[in-house]
Amino acid sequence: MHWLYLAIAVAFEITVAIAAGKAEGFKNRKWTGITLASGAAATFFLSKALLTFDVGVGYALWTSVAGVGITVLGALFFGQRLNINKAIGILLVIGGVVGLQLSGSA
Amino acid sequence: MSNAAKSSTNAWLSLLLAGVFEIGYALAVGGSEGFTQLTWSLVAVVFFLLTLYALSLALRTIDVSIGYAVWAGIGAVGAAVFGPLFFDETLTLAKGIWLAVIIVGVIWLKLADRTKPEAVAAPAAEPQATNRPGALQV
Repeated sequence: MHWLYLAIAVAFEITVAIAAGKAEGFKNRKWTGITLASGAAATFFLSKALLTFDVGVGYALWTSVAGVGITVLGALFFGQRLNINKAIGILLVIGGVVGLQLSGSA
Repeated sequence: MSNAAKSSTNAWLSLLLAGVFEIGYALAVGGSEGFTQLTWSLVAVVFFLLTLYALSLALRTIDVSIGYAVWAGIGAVGAAVFGPLFFDETLTLAKGIWLAVIIVGVIWLKLADRTKPEAVAAPAAEPQATNRPGALQV
């Protein structure tokens, strides 16, 4: 269940990133509202996930998987290019998450 | 100090402060136990607003990708180090190593956003707040 909560928190965090980009320095009210609401939802589900995960582990998983999601979505839908550095970052995060899980630390 | 140097110093102070607030946010969200503990929940909301505010101040001057890399790095390292101090948690060697890999990965990823062709081609003019492609350049 904690992995599901974490996944929902990650989805909302990705929404925060997209909405914050459209909020134009928080001058656009609609996107500012979406940013804050998504941030609140992300925080709530993160807190649910942290009932099981250690704070350090859950927080790192949350922020890094969201970062990977933002990069991948940016490449798929927002015309950003994947480059070798982004690929290395994604592989490091995935490798770290898998390692954490296999070592029984997650 | 020149005005530019002063504004840069202030921006970096804001960024470090945003990182510290982010650690407080992570710890408070954990301590809120699914937002059932009132005090921790309120502290989490306050840190959430503080970290957003300090980060937005810093990003007026500091490059977005560098700002996010430093901010995310401080938050993640801080949560891993201070979690065991506040809660019934342990930071074992294996956990520390894999967390370090993840944190290096996310910092690397944020910094990689900077190497976009248009960013390299563009002259080193002052960033225009109104013209910025957005907080996370999505």
